[in-house]
Amino acid sequence: MIKVDAGLCLGCRSCSNVCPSQNIVRTETEETRSIHWKRCKEECDLCVEFCPARALTLVAFDESVPEPDLTFDLVACKICGSRYATEPMLRRIESIIPADLQKDSGGLEWIRICPVCRRSIEADNATKLMVLDRSRLSPQS
Amino acid sequence: MPVYIDISRCIGCRSCEVACQRVHAGSGHINVHYVGDTASLPIFCHHCKDANCTLACFSGALYKDGERTAFDVEKCTGCGLCQLACPFGVVWTNKIAHKCDLCEGRDAPTCVTTCPANALSTDPDLPSRRARERAARAAAQGGRR
Repeated sequence: MIKVDAGLCLGCRSCSNVCPSQNIVRTETEETRSIHWKRCKEECDLCVEFCPARALTLVAFDESVPEPDLTFDLVACKICGSRYATEPMLRRIESIIPADLQKDSGGLEWIRICPVCRRSIEADNATKLMVLDRSRLSPQS
Repeated sequence: MPVYIDISRCIGCRSCEVACQRVHAGSGHINVHYVGDTASLPIFCHHCKDANCTLACFSGALYKDGERTAFDVEKCTGCGLCQLACPFGVVWTNKIAHKCDLCEGRDAPTCVTTCPANALSTDPDLPSRRARERAARAAAQGGRR
């Protein structure tokens, strides 16, 4: 059966997606994501292999051990407030991006913004340039 | 070769969105955004040189293939890290990840061949060439009004 290191688990969708026997159940609400690992007797280690945080290990089957269950609060977007990711996932992204790229993009604030708002910001920025271009092309009279 | 946009040409018709959805089984990777009443433009994958999504992908499903940021559906676990790593919000996860593949296997990306305003192209120099041509035409005709 599966043992979970709660300190390492990112609360991502990997193990629940790859489990072929529906032994890992993910429940999502607007504000939380819960993952429940059922006591599993399968000879299968897909979840262990595909855990990005290496938080899962296989241990001997034991009726007395409670089934692991973790609930993550979803982080709210700094702009629109919609809940879009777990805190450990965002921390992982922050740690993964090389320092020189962080500098170019003006810090890491964008990680705390949801993908929908990131697209809107990109649209706003790109059209700002267009408006500048147009005013440069217009006659100076 | 990545897709480039001449923003001043976009008419906000969303033809690119529809075309992208049509060739990708309903999951499009291009999103037209409207900025007030004044401007519109499609937002899509930049195929970044140092792509955050490929750094975030632990399973090797996202990788650089020359200029293209390619995606191997067989390796994707749908964890969702790539979606959070993209600064432009143009990687989606719907059970598994999906993003612009530059219409691999086609002669040209479908958004480019579909755009009725010729706003999209695979030629990075086209927008600046057009701007130079406009300026030259305007100068020849005695200046813009």
